[in-house]
Amino acid sequence: MKLDSGLENSSSIFLGGCSGLEADFSAPPLFDLPITNDFDGWQKKSVQMVKPARGTTTLAFIFKEGVMVAADSRASMGGYISSQSVKKIIEINPYMLGTMAGGAADCQFWHRNLGVKCRLHELANKRRISVTGASKLLANILYSYRGMGLSVGTMIAGWDEKGPGLYYVDSEGGRLKGTRFSVGSGSPYAYGVLDNGYKYDMSIPEAAELARRAIYHATFRDAASGGVASVYYVGPDGWKKMSGDDVGELHYSYYPVVPSVVEQEMTEVPVA
Amino acid sequence: MAHKQQRFDPYDMNGGTCVAIAGADYCVIAADTRMSTGYSILTRDYSKLCKLADKCIMASGGFQADVKALQKALSAKHLIYQHQHGKQVSCPAMGQLLSNTLYYKRFFPYYAFNVLGGLDNEGKGCVYTYDAVGSYERVGYSAQGSGSTLIMPVLDNQLKSPSPLLLPAVDAVTPLLEAEAIDLVKDVFASATERDIYTGDRLEIMVVNAAGTRTEYVELRKD
Amino acid sequence: MAQSVIEVPSKGGFSFDLCVRNDMLAKKGVQLPSYRKTGTTIVGLVYKDGVVLGADTRATEGSIVCDKNCEKIHYMAPNIYCCGAGTAADTEAVTDMVSSQLNLHRYATGRQSRVVTALTLLKTHLFSYQGQVSAALVLGGVDVTGPHLHTIYPHGSTDSLPYATMGSGSLAAMAMFESQYREGMTREEGIHLVSEAIRSGIFNDLGSGSNVDVCVITKDGTEYLRNHMLPNPRTYVSTRGFSFAKGQTEVLSTKIKQLKEKVVEVAVEGADAMEE
Repeated sequence: MKLDSGLENSSSIFLGGCSGLEADFSAPPLFDLPITNDFDGWQKKSVQMVKPARGTTTLAFIFKEGVMVAADSRASMGGYISSQSVKKIIEINPYMLGTMAGGAADCQFWHRNLGVKCRLHELANKRRISVTGASKLLANILYSYRGMGLSVGTMIAGWDEKGPGLYYVDSEGGRLKGTRFSVGSGSPYAYGVLDNGYKYDMSIPEAAELARRAIYHATFRDAASGGVASVYYVGPDGWKKMSGDDVGELHYSYYPVVPSVVEQEMTEVPVA
Repeated sequence: MAHKQQRFDPYDMNGGTCVAIAGADYCVIAADTRMSTGYSILTRDYSKLCKLADKCIMASGGFQADVKALQKALSAKHLIYQHQHGKQVSCPAMGQLLSNTLYYKRFFPYYAFNVLGGLDNEGKGCVYTYDAVGSYERVGYSAQGSGSTLIMPVLDNQLKSPSPLLLPAVDAVTPLLEAEAIDLVKDVFASATERDIYTGDRLEIMVVNAAGTRTEYVELRKD
Repeated sequence: MAQSVIEVPSKGGFSFDLCVRNDMLAKKGVQLPSYRKTGTTIVGLVYKDGVVLGADTRATEGSIVCDKNCEKIHYMAPNIYCCGAGTAADTEAVTDMVSSQLNLHRYATGRQSRVVTALTLLKTHLFSYQGQVSAALVLGGVDVTGPHLHTIYPHGSTDSLPYATMGSGSLAAMAMFESQYREGMTREEGIHLVSEAIRSGIFNDLGSGSNVDVCVITKDGTEYLRNHMLPNPRTYVSTRGFSFAKGQTEVLSTKIKQLKEKVVEVAVEGADAMEE
């Protein structure tokens, strides 16, 4: 008979120390894991309590001049909008962008980590990493954590020696090369506009406007997307922010209020 | 009879609300001092604020055991930093450190909802707001904890500045003076206390500016 | 036996059709929706000349206060009042139903209602619903047999006590009673002790709060002291206040419609349109 059998489940003694300052960013960091029989059960529950950023609309496409990347900026927890100013397009380095859908912390952390890895690659090989290589680095990390509850749906867009590059990478282990992607709860709406208006032979302003419109229409129909529609362009000289517009104001520029004839002006009642 | 497995339930919710507002040359960080569990008050006088560096203060709600562990981890790291570099950690650096510290426990999160307030390297007020696993963002103002959903809309209404993502960029500094910001904080806490049962007893306000930090207290409802 | 072809709603208020199934699901580990728990402190005591009842005035929905000044002392009869804890709708409905039954009884008999009558009506109702009607009550009143104080639990069990507390703040309130209650207290002492018990609940139980309601019942009449104490005023009011200049909300379009002229009906003399 064991006297302290009840303690096994609730004790939390950790093997890996939390090494924030001296962490070696090139190696996958050590994560604290609790000792428990039912890892999945409580882990899911505890992560549910803190789950952020679900609804999102992000998109990216390759066209004649490069890659266009766009996203909304809303973060919500259930019905509560926790932020209207999230940077969902993450600047990995001057030639590469990542988009953010799924868990905000997961995306933010692993993109930063990817940025470090790309810089180290540059220092070791004296040239910039290809988009293919960078996206594979990220996909490999995410695959190594598969089934642990990470939630990432991202697009890696950039310009390398072979020209424009675009990959879709997710936390289930998927990695797809493509010319047109949209990720997040608003993606069906964005795809609708994007597929309808997409042509390879677009000018940069045309492509930027298509991306902005696609995001705007997604925020119009998807309650979990909103805020500011940001559009980035990646070309041979690196990325450049094209526009950032409040979707509320975009609505009125796309659909101006028809001024109706004022039959009668309201007047102040004179003080008797 | 089916064997019922014992649940691993390592978290408690101790309530509490935190607010931070950044101004042009100041930062106001405030939190109530009630600590509770379920329908009981554990103490009416527990500080949720933690001064991590000279110009950097963290306010945290959630599970106080995790908050305490987090405060100790960050203070220890700050001490090491001071010994190695002979200076205080800047607020933006502490912001990134807090994010990483939270994310390293991604699979067993600190059940803590944090706001970090202070002055940046140029002396401007800065506020960083977090989720429990380390997603963070620099903002002009923020509210976290049990009363955040009551306070945030009021702050949005009174302080809403143009989004930093806008292009062309629009200057986005909280338009309030220090005294006005403190007055607003007191008022939103008095209001949150009226409707949130986990907020109350006393309000602790820390103000950071070029002169240093100072603390003031305001009584709140005790029911 | 032939079953009815059409599904007819059962005569009682509740349908228990799914109880067995839900029980089975719960045993299999399905999370059933939880019932709303409303925190409350309600108390009552018997003093020299009658009964004093007390209640706080907070109503909560989860962690949010949805009513800062609600009434928890319900009217049953001119000489009987009842404090309710538990689901607000249940306490209100059950006291209302019994109150009207008592009124009918008074019409039939021409006599003052007795506290035991109210007690029996309440407990038989609650018992027949097997605890599904979640009303925890403190019933107090004075009738021809003298002052009475009872507690009634949601399942229908009852107690007769000289002093009683109920609700999430009952422990805090009972602490005051256990330390200070004496037999044969005066009216002032009774009100004071009830107020202290409620205040203890208000300050130490998060489910209770705001103000103190008191009701004093004697054989000569009832005194309902609504908001007897207001121990929780707002602590801070902004000096700036909140005012919005005209034009804060952008006017996108304006259209003003003229009101239609009112048609006036004129009664025709001699017509029989306006009969009683």
